[in-house]
Amino acid sequence: MFFALTEDQQEFGKAVRDYLAERFDLAAVREVVEGGVADGNPASLWAAAGEQGWLAVTVGEEHDGLGLGLVEAQVIARALGAGVAPGPWRGTVLAAEAIRLAGSDEQRRAWLPKLAAGEAVGAVSHRGDVAGGLPAVEYGAEADVVVGPSDPDLAGLSLLTGATATPVGSYDGTTRLASLSGGTAEALPGATVELQKQLTDRATVLVAADLVGIAREALTRTVAYDRDREQFGVPVGSFQAIKHALADLHVGVTMAEHASLYAAHAADSAAAGVLDPAEADLAVSVAKAKASEVALQATAAMIQYHGGIGYTWEHEAHFFYKRAKRLAGQYGDVAVHRERIATLTV
Amino acid sequence: MDLTFTAAEEEFRSELRSWLSANIPQEWTRPGFWESLDDDESFRLRRDWERDKADAGFAGIQWPTEYGGRGGTPGMKAIYDEEMVRAHAPRTVNPLGLTFLAPTVMAIGTDAQKKEIIGPLLRNEVVWCQGFSEPGAGSDLAALSTKGVRDGDDFVVNGQKVWTTNAVHGDKIFTMVRTEAGSEKHRGISMLLIDMDQPGVTARPLRQMSGASEFGEVFFDDARVAAADCLGEIGDGWRTAMLLLSFERGASGISQYTEFRRQYDEIAAVARTLGRDTDPVVRDDLARVLTELECLKLHSMHVLTQVEQGRDLGFEASMTKLQWSEAFQDLWEVYDRILGEHATLDTLPDGTDLRPLHGQAMWSRSVTIWGGSSQVQRNITAERVLGLPR
Repeated sequence: MFFALTEDQQEFGKAVRDYLAERFDLAAVREVVEGGVADGNPASLWAAAGEQGWLAVTVGEEHDGLGLGLVEAQVIARALGAGVAPGPWRGTVLAAEAIRLAGSDEQRRAWLPKLAAGEAVGAVSHRGDVAGGLPAVEYGAEADVVVGPSDPDLAGLSLLTGATATPVGSYDGTTRLASLSGGTAEALPGATVELQKQLTDRATVLVAADLVGIAREALTRTVAYDRDREQFGVPVGSFQAIKHALADLHVGVTMAEHASLYAAHAADSAAAGVLDPAEADLAVSVAKAKASEVALQATAAMIQYHGGIGYTWEHEAHFFYKRAKRLAGQYGDVAVHRERIATLTV
Repeated sequence: MDLTFTAAEEEFRSELRSWLSANIPQEWTRPGFWESLDDDESFRLRRDWERDKADAGFAGIQWPTEYGGRGGTPGMKAIYDEEMVRAHAPRTVNPLGLTFLAPTVMAIGTDAQKKEIIGPLLRNEVVWCQGFSEPGAGSDLAALSTKGVRDGDDFVVNGQKVWTTNAVHGDKIFTMVRTEAGSEKHRGISMLLIDMDQPGVTARPLRQMSGASEFGEVFFDDARVAAADCLGEIGDGWRTAMLLLSFERGASGISQYTEFRRQYDEIAAVARTLGRDTDPVVRDDLARVLTELECLKLHSMHVLTQVEQGRDLGFEASMTKLQWSEAFQDLWEVYDRILGEHATLDTLPDGTDLRPLHGQAMWSRSVTIWGGSSQVQRNITAERVLGLPR
């Protein structure tokens, strides 16, 4: 029995966290949030993502990738969530996953090495369709290639290039959104309904992992603040009203970490045919429901247990809170995933 | 990641499974069977069965062979716990002796104590009680006032313990006793191993809100115990108690998951019977609980991994307790909401006997209190894990 991250996997996550701590801290995030980086994708961070293999993680070695799995990808997603890091990492990885699993050999050769190296930006949408338009796509304006539904009935996927982008306003300043229309569409030949579902589940796992990273970091920062901040002559973290809330959050975040890790493993195992797909469905929905719930709780608690400073623009709590708000609703919110869990178990 | 057990562990599982299927009477698996027995009858049946199980070699799974155990792996212990639940085996009659006392004796007992205590525990020939809580010392265990006064080679003990599991059926009790007059808090306490079959010890059952009497109160009126029957050093009982409680960390959440998941399925069946399985609020409630139960399973696999890697779990046990007890209680609150107007009735209109489920619903109120209340666990998690100031 081994249910944990291996040392290599832990090192991978630590490398991302170390990079962000040293080279792209919250001051750098703030610059993006406040509009200091026009396309919302800081060049230095994007270059690091390409050079350090964060984009190449699930791309096969034959296309210059690392050939790793969703477990490693969720390690990176978690670290990027913890750093509330901007940039089209997830869209690029997911576009590469769609092309890897459903593309023709030619499409793979054309796109995978570039996506893995950070020479091309990718994006994905599971809503709208390439003929009628794709709504609110993460980094849709910056993407060189976008994977979206071929038609409104969600039958098939297409690669979209050269689309016209219209920015979509959002109060989560760590991500840029744009709606897309027009452009040139080219079908991904292997995109069966079953494969589309698999791709949606993979996206769901990476969003859940981002939320888990947000939640853990929000909690860690709040605990550190409440250890020091004094009122009534003692640290506020010595009051049970605060202790008990933070203890419950620690349990919840830890459970979400387990659930996100297992969901990544289950999704890969089901795709490899060694796990019942229904069990993977359950694992993915458990992870997303739990991660969404706990990230909303932890980021709200971050504001509350910092007191007034936590509600200010100058404090970073709102980066975490706003990103959690947006991602908790992506790829199914808590209610949607609980309904799927009920369908599987009631 | 590897979520499988080893070949040797799986072989152990099939061996155990076939023994269980041949040795658990069919009627034991009938819902409500155990609830239909009186406490004495239930205790006798379980004690006999456990003796037979030990004779077949299915006891002390992880205990070293030098103590008559099986010398198995943590994985085998997890499998054992899980298979007991799957087979509808009754709960052990000796949870405190097996889980807490035996490993403590192995760690710090004298040679004589190891010899006298561990062997009989394997076959449950001696049923042990735990004498910690008192009327004036619950969560604040260090406030205990039961006194032991030295008299030659003995201590003479006076005081009262409460919430003592198996008080009426117990043979011996490991007891926290203040043996230094005038000592305060956690100083001056000794862990004395007292024979309950003596004139100075009286046990009375306490009836729980469920109607059962699994625990009771124990009175010491000039009870005698040899000073040699002290576990750990005299006056160092607090340290002994902390070591003893640390063995709860091995408790297997995987078997709890198996049990709770079966109960979840039974509750979902009740929802279907009442036509409430399509109610979106009920579905959301059930799915929320299921999410927590699945997290419990994953957490248990994580804990097992840590144990197998030889890592110290530290105060993670508090998190495990919070997760299982709060999720379990939530499950039975959802059950009550599903029942609606049938909430307190013995049977459903279609004749389904609800009493076994009601018994679990009542029991769920206790799990966030015993073994360290949720409030105590939250303090431990906040202070010892998160490092918040005391």
